[in-house]
Amino acid sequence: MKVLEVKNLTKKFDGFIAVDNISLSINEGEIFGLLGPNGAGKSTTINLIAGLLRSSEGEIKILGKNNMKHSRYTKMNIGIVPQDLAIYEDLTAFENVKFFAGLYGLRGTELTDRVQEALEFVGLLDMQRAYPKNFSGGMKRRLNIACAIAHRPKLIIMDEPTVGIDPHSRNYILQSIHKLNEMGCTIIYTSHYMEEVEEICTRISIMDHGKVIAEGTKEQLIAIITNTKDIWIEVKSVEQIDIEKIKEINGVKTVSLDKNVIKINSEIGINNLNNILLYLMNQKVEIGSLEEREPNLETVFLTLTGRNLRD
Amino acid sequence: MKDIIWLIRKIIRVTFRKKGNILLYFGGPLIGILIAFLAYGGSDQQTLKVGIINQDSAQIAGDTVHFLEHLENVEVVKINESTLKDQIATGKLDCAIILGQKFSESIENGIPDHIQLVSIKGAEVTSFVKSYLYQYLDNITALKRAANGDPEVYQKMYDRFQQANFKLQVETLQDTSKGKNMTIMTIGFLLMIMLISAGNFAEIIMKEKENRTYFRLISTPINVRKYVLANIAVSMMVMVVQVLLTLLMAMKVFHIEMNVSFWQMAVLLTLFALVSAGLSLMVVSFASSSRAAGALHILITIPSCLLAGCFWPFDLMPKVVQRIAQFMPQHWVLETINQLQLGYSFGSLYLNLMILLAFAAVFFLFSVYKFGRNNDVRNFA
Ligand SMILES: Nc1ncnc2c1ncn2[C@@H]1O[C@H](COP(=O)(O)OP(=O)(O)OP(=O)(O)O)[C@@H](O)[C@H]1O
Ligand SMILES: [Mg+2]
Repeated sequence: MKVLEVKNLTKKFDGFIAVDNISLSINEGEIFGLLGPNGAGKSTTINLIAGLLRSSEGEIKILGKNNMKHSRYTKMNIGIVPQDLAIYEDLTAFENVKFFAGLYGLRGTELTDRVQEALEFVGLLDMQRAYPKNFSGGMKRRLNIACAIAHRPKLIIMDEPTVGIDPHSRNYILQSIHKLNEMGCTIIYTSHYMEEVEEICTRISIMDHGKVIAEGTKEQLIAIITNTKDIWIEVKSVEQIDIEKIKEINGVKTVSLDKNVIKINSEIGINNLNNILLYLMNQKVEIGSLEEREPNLETVFLTLTGRNLRD
Repeated sequence: MKDIIWLIRKIIRVTFRKKGNILLYFGGPLIGILIAFLAYGGSDQQTLKVGIINQDSAQIAGDTVHFLEHLENVEVVKINESTLKDQIATGKLDCAIILGQKFSESIENGIPDHIQLVSIKGAEVTSFVKSYLYQYLDNITALKRAANGDPEVYQKMYDRFQQANFKLQVETLQDTSKGKNMTIMTIGFLLMIMLISAGNFAEIIMKEKENRTYFRLISTPINVRKYVLANIAVSMMVMVVQVLLTLLMAMKVFHIEMNVSFWQMAVLLTLFALVSAGLSLMVVSFASSSRAAGALHILITIPSCLLAGCFWPFDLMPKVVQRIAQFMPQHWVLETINQLQLGYSFGSLYLNLMILLAFAAVFFLFSVYKFGRNNDVRNFA
C-alpha cells in the first residue's frame, strides 16, 4: 500500500520557488530518506505533506486520501518531529506528551499508557516528572520525538532529528527509528548528514534547489557514478592550489576543497594519480596523506550538483 | 468541543502554575480600589472624634457640649489640656474644642468668644463641626438679643429652644461626587488591567509560534480556529472573574457608592472584555514577534486609558481630549456608567452598548482576516 503519494508538488513563496514540481511515492514499511543541503526545500516539502502549508500546485495523498480534503484523517495518521524543538518548557516531560496525545482524542488510562509507552521508547520514563528546561539537548530531542509518536501514527516524519546532539542520544534516536519501523511505522527522514541517511534509509531522494535530482536505494544512487572513484589528498596548505588546473587533468570529473583536503572524483579507467601528484609537487604543496575512497552519497551529490552537501 | 476544553485546561494550568500570575490577574484589579481610597478618602459614614475641654461651669457651656454630643456622626470625648496636643497629633482625635471660663458670659453678652477649635486635619474635617456649632451659638445670641435684656424672658426662650433643638434631625447630605470619582478610579483601573490581561493571553499565541509548539499544535487534528478560540475563552474567563471580583470588593466590601446595580455593571464590563480580547488578537495578528506584540499592546493600552479618562473625571479633561476620548472603547464604558448613575435605564443606553459591540466586531474581523492570510510556519523570532 502507498503511504504517501506526492504528485507534481510545487510551493512558491512570493515568487520564490522553494519546492519545484517534485513527485514522491512511499510504500508501507519504508524508511525513506530526504537528503539535501540547507535550503534545498526539505522542510517545506514536509510542511506541505503535514498539511501545515498549502501547496501552490500538485496533490498529496496520505494512505490514499488527499491531505487537504481529509485533513483530520491524514493528520491523525501522521506524527511529525519538527526540525526545531516544539515542546513546552513549563510542562513536565509527561505533561508535554500527554497534552499533544490528548489532541488526538486519547483520554483516560489509554492516554496515560500511551504517554508512558512513548516516554519509555525514547528512554525518558524516569525523567517524566522533570521539566525540559533542565534537559540536555539530546534529551529535548528525544522528548520532541516522544510527542510525535504517542498517538501511534502510521507515518512518522522526522525533520533532522539529530541536529546538534551528543553521540549517545544520536545512536539512541537512530536505533529507535529502526524499532519504530519494525513495529510497522513508515518513516520519512530528512537530513543533510549523508552518513545517517546511508545507515538507516531503505530508499533515498536527493533534493537540491527545490528539485528531486536523484532517487533510489543507496546502491542504485551510487551506481549512477560507479564509473568514478574518489581521491582525497590531505595537504598542509592550499594557497598555491588552483582547482581549475586539477580539473584539466585527464579523467578528473570534479574537484572540491574541504578545508585542507582536496576531494577529487575521477574516472576509473584512467590512471591519472601521477599527473595529479606531479601538479601538486610543482606547486610545492606538501602532501599529508592520500586516500582512495569508495564512492558514497556525498560523491553522488557532488557529481550531480558540483557542490558539497555541507559547506 | 472536547479539543477546545483540552486546550483551555492546558492554558489555565500553565498560566496559574506561576503564582505571580494569580497575583497579577486577580490582585491587580483591586489596586484600583485602593488608589480610589487613597485619592478620595474613605466612605461618608465616618464619625468624627471631637475632644472637649470645658472650663466654664455655666449652663450655656454645658448645653453646648450636650448639643455636640447629640450630633450624628460625632463622638465627643472629654479630655484635659495636658493630653490635648498629643491626642490631636497622633490622630486619636479629629479636632478639639476648648470652651474658656468666660464662654457662657460672652454668649450672654451677645458676642461669642472664648471658644477655640484645634485641629490638624484642616477644613474638611472641622467645617462640619464648625458650621453646626456656630449656627447653634448664633441662635442663642439671637435669643439674647430678642429677650432684650430681660433675663426671665431669655431663660424661658432658652429653655424652649433647648427642648426644640433635641428634636432637630441632623441630616448629612450624601456627597455623590465622591462616589462617582471613586467609581471612575476603580473601573478605569480595572479596564486597564483587563486590557493588559487580554494582551498577555493573546501573546501566548505569538510565543507558541516562536517556540514552535504552535507548529506542532496545527500538525495535530486541531485547527487554528479552535486553538485561537480556546485562547480567547481563557482570556474571557479571566476577565469576567476580574470583573466580578472587583465589583464584589468595591460594592460589598469597600462600600463604594456606585449607584449602578451589580448586574448592569457586570454585563457592561463583560462587553468590554470582548473588546479587549478582540483588540489583543488584532495586535497579535499584526505584530511580527511576541516582544513587538507586547510593546505595541502597552503602547495602545496606556495612552488610550489616559485619553479615555480612566483615571480622572471626564469633565476635568480639555475639550480636545474629550473629543479624542470618543474613539476609545473605555470612554464608552465610563460614559455608560455615568449615565446609569444619572438614572438612565440600561435599555435606553443600547446605543452605547452597540458602539462597544461594534468595536469588538471590528477588532475580531481584522484578526480573522490577518490570521487567514498567514502563510508562515517558519521561525518568528
Ligand atoms: N515561509 C517562507 N517564506 C519565504 N521563503 C521561505 C519560507 N519557508 C522557506 N522558505 C525558503 O525556501 C527555501 C527552502 O527552505 P527549507 O526550510 O524547506 O529548506 P531545508 O531543505 O529544510 O533546509 P535546512 O536543511 O536548512 O532545514 C529556503 O530558501 C527558505 O528560505
Ligand atoms: Mg529544514
